[in-house]
Amino acid sequence: MKRREFIQVAGATVAGLTVTAYLPAGMARAQDKKWTIGFSQATTIEPWRAQFNKDIIAEAEKHPEVELIITDGEDRTEKQVADVENLIRQEVDALLISPKESAGLTGVVEQAIDAGIPVFVLDRNVDTDRYTQFVGGDNVLIGKAAGEWTVNALGGPGKAAGNVVEIWGGMGTQPAHDRHDGFHEFTDKEPGIKYLLNEQSGDWKQDQAYDIMATALRSNEDIDLVYGHNDPMAYGAYLAAKDVGREQDILFIGIDALPGEGVMWVHNGELAATFLYATPGAEGLRQALKHLNGEEVPKTVVLDTLTVTKENADEILKANGLL
Amino acid sequence: MWSLVARSKLWWGLAAIFLIGVLTSPVSSKGNNIFLSYGNLLDVLRQVSITGLIATGMTAVILTAGIDLSVGSIMALCSVVCAMLLTVPGWTPAAAMGVPALALTALVVFAALTRFLFRSMAATGSVGRRDERRLDMTRGTLLPLAAGAAAAALVLWFTIPQVATKFGVLGVLLVTPAVGLLFGAINGIVIVGGRLQPFIVTLAMMVTALGLARLTAGQNNAVLPVYTGSNAVAGFDVLRSLVWGIVPVPGLFFLAAVVIYGAVLRFTSFGRYLYAIGGNEEAARLSGIDVNGTKIVTYAVQGMLAGVAAVLFVAQYRQGKPDAGTGLELDAIAAVVIGGTSLMGGRGSIAGTFAGVLIFGLLSNLLQLHNINSNLQLVLKGLIIVGTVLLQERNLGEILGNLRLNRARGDPATREPPEGETEPRRYGGSANETS
Repeated sequence: MKRREFIQVAGATVAGLTVTAYLPAGMARAQDKKWTIGFSQATTIEPWRAQFNKDIIAEAEKHPEVELIITDGEDRTEKQVADVENLIRQEVDALLISPKESAGLTGVVEQAIDAGIPVFVLDRNVDTDRYTQFVGGDNVLIGKAAGEWTVNALGGPGKAAGNVVEIWGGMGTQPAHDRHDGFHEFTDKEPGIKYLLNEQSGDWKQDQAYDIMATALRSNEDIDLVYGHNDPMAYGAYLAAKDVGREQDILFIGIDALPGEGVMWVHNGELAATFLYATPGAEGLRQALKHLNGEEVPKTVVLDTLTVTKENADEILKANGLL
Repeated sequence: MWSLVARSKLWWGLAAIFLIGVLTSPVSSKGNNIFLSYGNLLDVLRQVSITGLIATGMTAVILTAGIDLSVGSIMALCSVVCAMLLTVPGWTPAAAMGVPALALTALVVFAALTRFLFRSMAATGSVGRRDERRLDMTRGTLLPLAAGAAAAALVLWFTIPQVATKFGVLGVLLVTPAVGLLFGAINGIVIVGGRLQPFIVTLAMMVTALGLARLTAGQNNAVLPVYTGSNAVAGFDVLRSLVWGIVPVPGLFFLAAVVIYGAVLRFTSFGRYLYAIGGNEEAARLSGIDVNGTKIVTYAVQGMLAGVAAVLFVAQYRQGKPDAGTGLELDAIAAVVIGGTSLMGGRGSIAGTFAGVLIFGLLSNLLQLHNINSNLQLVLKGLIIVGTVLLQERNLGEILGNLRLNRARGDPATREPPEGETEPRRYGGSANETS
């Protein structure tokens, strides 16, 4: 065997073995399910999305008549558009979609409706009202909850005072702006509250928030509260403060309240509070089944938030089998 | 005298940005300059360590006129492997990938070292053609293989008991870079064996490694958190602490990589081969340099450094995740180019890269201290990359001269090439080296 050939054969063997090792066990499609429901997820690489998928899979397991197909848009609009087109070709009975962005996915949502498939838009809406139902949390509402909590923690309405650091998610994203606006609706009424950072974006990531906070701690000697647009960023800021021994002087609050992350950190006393941004996974699937079974469903379902503090954190962890 | 100033341009750039930092820095209530404070400078050193390690390896790759786009993904994969080894006991995908990778690395490295040793011993006294110091069967093949096998057995003896429990600090420090090294070596082997462009091969590896990172982490674990003392060994904190309360450990890794790789490039024949290959690969091949072997080693070392960076990432940010290294390759390439290394290969130095990395790090820190809006920071960074490279490559007089020339002629198409491009190419790290 020549060297070149050997490399080719060896390469192919290694590649084949790797692929086989990673192939999911249940590739065979069950044919006896009554409903085939397609779910186009925007990305699976962030924890909230992972929880979202967990929720929807857990809900699907409660309904033996449902076959759920999940696709991953890999955080790219064009991939997600192709995913949805693919699901339309497979003639799913209902389409659930959590769009990566509104404008880019509007076209395929309409395409699905034209093909006679009911569409349930989850978490982020599209730029049309031609869908069956929208299920999602309200980021402004959650921001307000965080703002109200902050005002109370810093001295109560009218006399709240302190230096607040806000670490933004993505600067160009609607959720970040909503979480900002809701928060400021409460805190802006308090003349005693000062804002230290000018629109610093941690891109929703723990490591970037760590670096932002490390520098903020150098240039500001007095910080009372850090508001992260999600829990990992609040936790990253906490770690930065801990590394210079200042974590005791600062309250850290975040958003999302995933059991394995935010709630756990609140339980550990690292975050002071976190505000639930529920994933629409379970509710979306329930609503879709209702619709398929002939029931009327409302056009919009808004998911409630929940303030998680030391008092109720343990309860939530127990309910999720984490304690 | 003037040439000295011109040659040290890079360090002037670094000094300038440092000076701007000192002069404009906000001042703390006690009157201390915050930018200059020891803690802040340590922050900068720590923050640049990860990019710096990658950029050090990238310098060597770029010197051979290659490029490695896969480092970010390899680092992400390694961060997942590292976090998984630390927090999950048993034969996880990470252990199944890492332990054989380490054994294989030990086998190859020790076999090669032993052979090299025998050859050097055989060569003493007989300076001659290569085939005159050919080794016999025992010393050429059997003993090196035995040494390699012994080393592999030793690392297996060390790591396999750790699989059942969880990995310790030394364990991940050995296994994770070995995984990176393996993927880097695959890059090199495919580039050399298939005679393909490094750009496309490493682009393919970038995608592949990202996919592998996600598969290894699993669909439901976008992030693997590492809580030292609770789900991982407490000793892992060593990698993010300060030595004797003074020097941050990640910074030490970076400095060590700079010093060692810098010395290798400058003083060993391997290092000089890199410059020769980048200068003219065909000429290097014809002069009897083992071009293929040298390239494979270069990419393998780059992968290994990505693995080391991954361990530091996990230690610093207490998590391993498949999107850890997004955009890192471009940061590293930018730092290398700011440091005066030519993307055409054959010209540049690790010292320059070190300065480039620091310029980048100090700049980020400065913008952050001044609380500049995140989006504006990106714009400023882009402008400064172009500005620095322009000053690197051209004299101010040249730039102004060109402008004047163009205006005088009124037709840019017919003008002569700028002076800098006609000047003969220099090989080697700086002008006073001749090889």
